[in-house]
Amino acid sequence: MDKIKLRQICFLFAAMMPLTKLIVYPAMLAYHAKNDLLFSASANFLLEGTVIAAVMFLASRTRLTFYDLLQNTFGTIAAKIVYGAFALFFLFSALLPLLEQKGFVLQVFYENVPSFLSFAPFFAVCVFACVKGFKGIGRAADIALPVTAVSLAVILLLAFPEAEFSELLPVGGAGVKNIFTGSLYGLNWFTDCLYPLFFLGHFEYEKHAAKKVLLSYAAGAAAVLLFLAVFYGIFGDIALRQINALAQISKYTTSFTSLGRIDLLFIFAAALPLVFYLCVPVQMCVHCVKKVFEKCNPIIPAAIANAMLLTAGVFLKYSFFEVQILFTQKLWWVFAFFAYAAPFLCLFLRRKESGRFEGVKRDE
Amino acid sequence: MNKFWTRIFLIAAAILLLLFFSNDFGLINIQQTTVVTAIGIDRSEEEGKIDVSAQIAMPEGKKASSVLVQGAETVGEAIAEFNAKTGWYPTLVHCKLVLIGAEATGEDVFSSLDYFLRSEFVEDSCLVAVCEKTAAETLQADSPIGELTSTAIAKVLSSQAQKTGQVSVCNLRDFAKGYFSVSESGFLPLVSIKKEAEEASSGKDSSQSGSDSQSGGSSSQSGGGGQGSSDVFDASQTVLFYRGKRTETLDADETLAFNLADTDTDLAYGDVSVYENGNKVTYNLKIKIGKKAQKLKIEDGVPVFTFQIRAKAQITDADRSADIVEIAKTAIVPERVLRAAEEKFKAELDGIMEKTRSSGCDLFRMKQKLYRSRPKDFETYKDGLLTNARVLYDIRFDTLR
Amino acid sequence: MDKEQAKNESGKKLSKSLKKNIKAIKDILTAQDILVYEFQTQDGVGCAAIYADGITDKELLGQLAAKPLSLSPAPKTAEEAERLLLFPESKQAEDVDTAVAEILAGNPALLIDTIEKALILGTKKVALRAISEPQTAITVKGPREGFIEDVKTNMSLIRKRLKTPSLQFETEEAGRKSKTAVCIAYLEGIADAEAVEEVKRRIRAVDIDGVPDSSYIAKFLAKKPYSLFKQVGTTEKPDILCAKMLEGRIGILCDGSPIALTLPYMLSEDFQSSQDYFVSPYRATVSRILRWLAVLIALFLPAFYVAAQLFKLQILPFGLLLTVSGGIKDLALSPSLEMLFLLIILEILVEASVRMPKYVALALSVIGALVLGDTAVKAGLVSSSAIIIVALSGISAYTVPDLTGTLSVMRIAYLIAAGSIGTYGIVLLTALILYYLITSDSYGTPLLAPFSPLIKKDLRDSVFKTDIYALNTRPAVFRPKNKTRLKVKNRPENEGAEETKQG
Repeated sequence: MDKIKLRQICFLFAAMMPLTKLIVYPAMLAYHAKNDLLFSASANFLLEGTVIAAVMFLASRTRLTFYDLLQNTFGTIAAKIVYGAFALFFLFSALLPLLEQKGFVLQVFYENVPSFLSFAPFFAVCVFACVKGFKGIGRAADIALPVTAVSLAVILLLAFPEAEFSELLPVGGAGVKNIFTGSLYGLNWFTDCLYPLFFLGHFEYEKHAAKKVLLSYAAGAAAVLLFLAVFYGIFGDIALRQINALAQISKYTTSFTSLGRIDLLFIFAAALPLVFYLCVPVQMCVHCVKKVFEKCNPIIPAAIANAMLLTAGVFLKYSFFEVQILFTQKLWWVFAFFAYAAPFLCLFLRRKESGRFEGVKRDE
Repeated sequence: MNKFWTRIFLIAAAILLLLFFSNDFGLINIQQTTVVTAIGIDRSEEEGKIDVSAQIAMPEGKKASSVLVQGAETVGEAIAEFNAKTGWYPTLVHCKLVLIGAEATGEDVFSSLDYFLRSEFVEDSCLVAVCEKTAAETLQADSPIGELTSTAIAKVLSSQAQKTGQVSVCNLRDFAKGYFSVSESGFLPLVSIKKEAEEASSGKDSSQSGSDSQSGGSSSQSGGGGQGSSDVFDASQTVLFYRGKRTETLDADETLAFNLADTDTDLAYGDVSVYENGNKVTYNLKIKIGKKAQKLKIEDGVPVFTFQIRAKAQITDADRSADIVEIAKTAIVPERVLRAAEEKFKAELDGIMEKTRSSGCDLFRMKQKLYRSRPKDFETYKDGLLTNARVLYDIRFDTLR
Repeated sequence: MDKEQAKNESGKKLSKSLKKNIKAIKDILTAQDILVYEFQTQDGVGCAAIYADGITDKELLGQLAAKPLSLSPAPKTAEEAERLLLFPESKQAEDVDTAVAEILAGNPALLIDTIEKALILGTKKVALRAISEPQTAITVKGPREGFIEDVKTNMSLIRKRLKTPSLQFETEEAGRKSKTAVCIAYLEGIADAEAVEEVKRRIRAVDIDGVPDSSYIAKFLAKKPYSLFKQVGTTEKPDILCAKMLEGRIGILCDGSPIALTLPYMLSEDFQSSQDYFVSPYRATVSRILRWLAVLIALFLPAFYVAAQLFKLQILPFGLLLTVSGGIKDLALSPSLEMLFLLIILEILVEASVRMPKYVALALSVIGALVLGDTAVKAGLVSSSAIIIVALSGISAYTVPDLTGTLSVMRIAYLIAAGSIGTYGIVLLTALILYYLITSDSYGTPLLAPFSPLIKKDLRDSVFKTDIYALNTRPAVFRPKNKTRLKVKNRPENEGAEETKQG
């Protein structure tokens, strides 16, 4: 059975989740919520944290997988339909981060006339990752932790002297409506809470598991909030121009040194966990498809999912902002339903274990 | 490894090798690139157009070259023209300096500077300065120690220079932040060229005077070399901007006072004169800023802006002879000198405030402070804030005991 | 009778007739080095010792077998003959097959007329080199003994260090023609029993004509034989093998090879050196960090150098950029081809220097250093900065000798990724390799442990090394039954405090 460790779920939230919110999200927040971007982000984190808490509560009550719970409650066909819907959702939710990261890569990793060809090999890596299942996600999280910790710490340390935190004043100056808009339009970046639902039954629930996961999530959230504060402290009114925030904040300290842009090495290092995390929704999609078509070789859905994303990437090469507006401003309810409402609804699924479901065995 | 993965591996390897060996997918490598180290923007003779000059770093051992594009609509167009004229692709990632010619500052400089904010391949960490003459002329000046002009100017505008208070340094980000803020104001150092003594022409590198073949008809070589003289750069004056246009200029003493009151300067040297026994004596003081703060309050409906500065001073020199005991106690500053220093500081700040009032340049970001501390009162007071605000000075200089 | 027929008949029992028995064996062993020494007992009964020339101690055979027999009446049974000869190592063989195998192993078969068994005499004498320090694992401090090509000697070197009844040696045979003895060494109760069984199963399943070296066995033990990465650890030193066995690994000794194999294998063990355990933990930690850093330099430096020139000039500091652009200005090759050219030259130099006779080493060094280095720069073929990059990368790879081969291939792969895809290609290739490594296991042990999966306790002997008292348990990754290595309770109390007082 596809296994993941509780520790690895914690690392997923503490190390991989924060980085994905440090590319376009800060500029988007600065556009909507201005100097109150921390409130918008905090609201999203609280909401997502609540969903994670609910899923962990569910994990403490059952050793069944999400699929088993659906099967218990609605039967096999309904479970397959739900998993199919989630497979589509995961694929859908992967699109914007993909375009976001493509933009990040083409700007930060290249100088002269970059082409989509430079990003395309990502899909080959993603196909390989999808075949590896949850074990791949978990162990990648183990690797991601030190890489993220070091690179993010260095980037923040380099950026810190440039930050003027009075830029965050006046508190509430942007107005409740703008803060709310920032939160609402940021929902696309907060679908991580769905992953623990699919990890149900694939990890061993141990004592204080919920506390550990929530604390890790809080650590990741704190890192993002600190980054946002430094980011706005550095850019103030021009923050909304600073897409690819991760690559922007540390350059002022290094530009005029004899070593030059040494921070780029840490930005490149941070791209590694970003690659890992960009694969996660596609891996989840493949996991769902595998459940729907039980005897399906994972390579087939992995190849199809990546081919679809590659095609979308090619066609939407120049349309990131249109896609962003579509996803964040028009289709936010899709994210709200799948990432927030659905996990809460799962609390009402029948948890009674039938004899055929065995307890979770140890991984590794 | 099963057959499937073997095939995938072989296909991937073949594609990569094809890419590797062809290396021709719009790729512009180091051999086809010119490294632009500075950009100069001047007003063109043609109405509404600009002249853009670029300093290009040449490989080791050779002097820089300058390329000039005249009569461009935008900076972007000029950069594209560099490429067309020279056949080299200009890369701006190492562009550390943007110079604006004096005449170009009469209009909103952001009509040209926004190129650097829009472009993804230009860093907004570059320094920005105004030239006393034209930017092109400044970029052609010859550094006395033979380094790139842009490097020499960047040294004058370095953070070390800022720390000693001689220069008010500003990078593009900070200038843009001020421009787009509620204050709509900013400042830039004014770079002027001062001729040094004639140099022996035999020591000159002949390569610098050679005509630059890459720059086409509009090119000009690194300046000054042929004349046998070298230049030094001065940036002790500061230009104030409001809504992107030049409004006022702070002289060297005002620049120092501004730096001591507002920027990162925490250690500076300044002269103060006192009368001793009927004679004017000038002391050179080393000033170490302990605390600097600006507060904006509304008292009885009147905005009150207070400078609070605490500093320690030491005598480093005086223009009169002193006895050995006085020299031994040189660190200790007499009370009258301290008070005189405070007064001088106040007078300079007063002068700056007067210039900000007359120009509308919110140099001390009073509007931002008002917006941040009293957002509800912002609309009420913002328009007359600079002119109506009462300015108080809480300045105290102390000596080492 | 041709050889095939002889082979078919070889499974048959020995007869009472000496002549028939000699013929049966000689029909199989037709080679000229198989000699038959015929003699008679005191009462005239015929005897013959069949042996392989060169690997049998003829003097011992004459003194302890031929002489006593020729001075005594003929024994009636094989047991009686054994008692008469008093050989410390002897056994009986009932069939031709066994006798043939023993003769080939260097143990002569003594045949006596009227006895339908052969007496196998342990007089094997193989020319062995002396135990010496292996060239690939030289230490400044620490034991200098290395394994040799004889499996029995190697077993004795292990037994000498691990005087415990739990040390087990299980010998299997591999190679249809070479009949190579492959010995599995492990500590019962410490090594994972499932892994031991799996190793045995895999060795038994080997069906190859010959096993010239342990590296052949390593290929059969590897679960992913096509992998670029090592699947089996190797060592030439008994002290290292014993230390690894004490951690819970299994050792595999192969007759004819001085290289012992160890399983399960983790990538991090190649970064450990035996010397790390003989010096202070601080020094060991610094050394290990340097090794990791060197591997990163070996892998990434050429790739980043090329990516910087082709795709991201900003990586290079301004001063360096001017130097580099000055160096490559008139080069005919693009930066990526220049680097590939130099890396290929480096590999050729390495290959040549390993294989060339020592007396041409100086000449080759001159050619390598001067002609290919200085002259190539002057000729405008390569730039001096590229030479420095390649040299640094090449030297760095040798800080971890066991990974040099892998690093060489990966370095070229990274260069191709950097030259074709660019800076992001380096990141993607790293991600791909990491995905591969983190999902690869060696006999139940993750290849990238203790980093992924993260095993906190085992980190104490990974990139950094703690003091001996902190290494009180065996690595958890091997799931040993007996976890305790060192009993900390025996440590004198307040040891540190006493030192302070004395100081």
